[in-house]
Amino acid sequence: MSNKRKLNDIFYQFITYISALISVLALSSIFMFVFIKGSSLLDFGLLFNDYHEKYYNGGFNGDIDFSLTPEPDNLEANEFYSSMWGIALKDAKDREGNAIIIVSYISKDSPFSNMYDKNSVDIESSIVIKEGNIVSKISYYDKPTSLTRYGAELMIKDLDTVTDIREVVYTSLGGGIRGSLLTTLFIIGLTLVLALPMGIFTAIYLNEFAKKNKITNLIRSLIETLTGVPSIIYGLMGLAVFVPFTIAITKADSANLISGSMTLAVILLPIIIRSTEESLKVIPDDLRTASLALGANKTQTTFRAVLPSAYPGIVTATLLAVGRIIGESAALIFAIGTAIKDDVSIFGRSTTLSVHIWSLMKDEPANIELASTIALIILIIVLALNILVKLVSKKFITKIV
Amino acid sequence: MDNIFSIKDLDLYYGNFQALKSISLDIDRNKVTALIGPSGCGKSTFLRCLNRMNDLIENCKIEGKIQYSQMDIQTKSFNVIELRTKVGMVFQKPNPFPMSIYDNVAYGPRCSGIKKKSELDVIVEKALKRAALYEEVSSRLKDNALGLSGGQQQRLCIARAIAMEPDVILMDEPTSALDPIATLKIEELINDLKRNYTIVIVTHNMQQAARISDKTAFFLMGELIEIDSTDKIFTQPKNKKTEDYITGRFG
Ligand SMILES: Nc1ncnc2c1ncn2[C@@H]1O[C@H](COP(=O)(O)OP(=O)(O)OP(=O)(O)O)[C@@H](O)[C@H]1O
Ligand SMILES: [Mg+2]
Repeated sequence: MSNKRKLNDIFYQFITYISALISVLALSSIFMFVFIKGSSLLDFGLLFNDYHEKYYNGGFNGDIDFSLTPEPDNLEANEFYSSMWGIALKDAKDREGNAIIIVSYISKDSPFSNMYDKNSVDIESSIVIKEGNIVSKISYYDKPTSLTRYGAELMIKDLDTVTDIREVVYTSLGGGIRGSLLTTLFIIGLTLVLALPMGIFTAIYLNEFAKKNKITNLIRSLIETLTGVPSIIYGLMGLAVFVPFTIAITKADSANLISGSMTLAVILLPIIIRSTEESLKVIPDDLRTASLALGANKTQTTFRAVLPSAYPGIVTATLLAVGRIIGESAALIFAIGTAIKDDVSIFGRSTTLSVHIWSLMKDEPANIELASTIALIILIIVLALNILVKLVSKKFITKIV
Repeated sequence: MDNIFSIKDLDLYYGNFQALKSISLDIDRNKVTALIGPSGCGKSTFLRCLNRMNDLIENCKIEGKIQYSQMDIQTKSFNVIELRTKVGMVFQKPNPFPMSIYDNVAYGPRCSGIKKKSELDVIVEKALKRAALYEEVSSRLKDNALGLSGGQQQRLCIARAIAMEPDVILMDEPTSALDPIATLKIEELINDLKRNYTIVIVTHNMQQAARISDKTAFFLMGELIEIDSTDKIFTQPKNKKTEDYITGRFG
C-alpha cells in the first residue's frame, strides 16, 4: 500500500518536472533560434534602408563643380579616393558572392551629390550617390567604360583622368525594413487613437452609467464572445467594410493603413473594454460616494475621481493592445495588403513587420535570416514597450499607494 | 428656536423592509447632535436622508417631510448637488481620494467650478487649518493623501468637507476606525467646529456622545425613542429603554 503511494508520488513529481523542463526549453529555444538566426543581419542600416534595390542612371548637365575635399585620413588600404570627384570606392562581395564596388565615402561637395536622373522625364530631377551604394558602371565620352570587373582601383584611376561623365549606373542596396517599421509605428498610433478612447468610454458607460439589467449583460457577454473570434474573420470584415469605406471617404484607392487600423481597432475594442472595465470594477464605491457627497455630479465623479484611479488598468490595456497590433498578421493581410513598401503612405498599401515576415517566408526560397532578424526586432520592440509601461505605471502606482 | 433641519413623519423602506418608522425631530443650528442606538437601528440610514445619499441606493423609498432651512428637500425639483455642498459628510472609514492632499481638499471646490489657483490655495489652506491638519501637512501638500495616517486621513476628509463651506457636517462613526489618540484629536476638532457648523454625529461610544454633543437622539429598531439635551439623556432619561441602553443593559 505505502509502496504504491510512493510510486504514485514519484510518478506525479516526475510529470511536473518534465513538463516544466519542456516548457522552459521550448520557450528558450524560440528565443535562441530567433537570436542566432537573426542577430547576424541586425544593424542600423537594416532599420533605415529600403527593402527594394533601386537602380539609378545618373548624368551631368553643363559645367561640373569638382570636389575640393582632400583625401580623408581614415581611409583603409582597400579604399581608393578620387579627390576631384570626392568619392572613395572599395571592392566587396555581395550575399551571393559576386564581386561588387561599394561607395565607402562621399565628400560633401562631390559632384555625385548633384546629378540628374536619366530615367526621369523631369529635367530638374536630381539624384545622389550615397555611401553604401553599389557602382556597377561609369561610362565616358572619350574613354572605354569602367566596369565592376576591373576593380575599384582602376575605376578611381579612370575617374581622375576625366572631366566629364556620360553616365553612372549604380544601385542602392535593398533588404532594409524601414517601410515596414514605419508602417508598424503608424498602425500602432492610428489604431490606438481609434480604439483607446472608444474602448475606455464604452467601459465607463457599461460600468458607471448603464443600468444593471439584461441588456447590459447581453452587451457584456457579446463583447466577451468577440474576444475569442479568430482575427482572420475580422480581416474579412475589414476587406468587405473598411476598405471600401476608406476608399469612399479618403483619397485611397486600395486597401490602406487606415482600413488596417480600423480593422485592428475593432479587434482591440473588446480587449480594451474588458480590461478597463475590470479596473473600474475594483475601484471601491467609497470613492464614488465620497465624491458625490461633496456635491460632484455623476460625470465629475466618473472623470475626476474614478477614472484616474483606473489608470494602471488602462495602461495594461494599452500594452496588451500594442502587443496585439504588433503581433497581428492574419487580419492585416486582408485589410492593408502584403505589398512591402519603402515609401509609406497612410492612404496606400504597405506591410507591418509581422506581415513582412510572412511575405519573406512564403517566397521560394524563404529568407529565414531576414525573417528572424525582423522577429528579433519585434521582440526587442515588445520588450522595450513592456519595460516602458512597467516604469510608467510603477511611477504612477507609487504615487497613489 | 433655530432649527436647521426639521423632520416630520419620516418613513423609509428598503424594498419591503421598513428601516425608519415615523421619525419626527428637529436639529438645532450650530449644535452637535449625537445619534445613538444599537447596530441596525437605522442611524446611518437617517443620517443619509439629510443629504439625500439614500438616492444612490436602489429600491430605497422615502415618505414624509424633511426640511432644510425651511426648504423641502424631498421634492423632485430640489437641487441635490446644491444640498450636498451645504450638507457635507464624513464617513466611518477614512476615504480620501488617491490623489495629493491638496487635490483632495480642492476636489469639491473644483467640481463646483472654482478654477483659479490663487483662490483654491486660500480655500485649501483655510480648510486644512480648520481641520487642525495644516501644521502636519503644510510641507507636503503635493504628497499622496493615502500616505497619511488613519487619523490624519479622517481629518483630511473633514477638511475636504469644510472646503465646501457647508452649514452642516454629517459624521457617521468618524472615529470608530481610529486609535484613542486620533479619536481625541477628532473630538477636539468637533468641539472647535461647532461654533461655525451644525454637526450630526453617529456614534457607538456613549462617552463620546456625552463628551461632545449638545443633544442626543436614541434610536431603536427604526424608531426614535427619545431626543433631548445630552445631559438629560445621560442622567435622567424619560424612557426606560433609553436608560437600559445607556447603562449597557442591552444593545
Ligand atoms: N442598502 C440597504 N438595503 C437594504 N437594507 C438596508 C440597506 N442599508 C441598511 N439596511 C437595513 O436597514 C437597517 C438600518 O441600517 P443602518 O445601516 O441605518 O443601521 P445603523 O444604525 O447605522 O447600524 P450600525 O450601527 O451597525 O451602523 C438595517 O436593518 C439594515 O440591514
Ligand atoms: Mg451605520
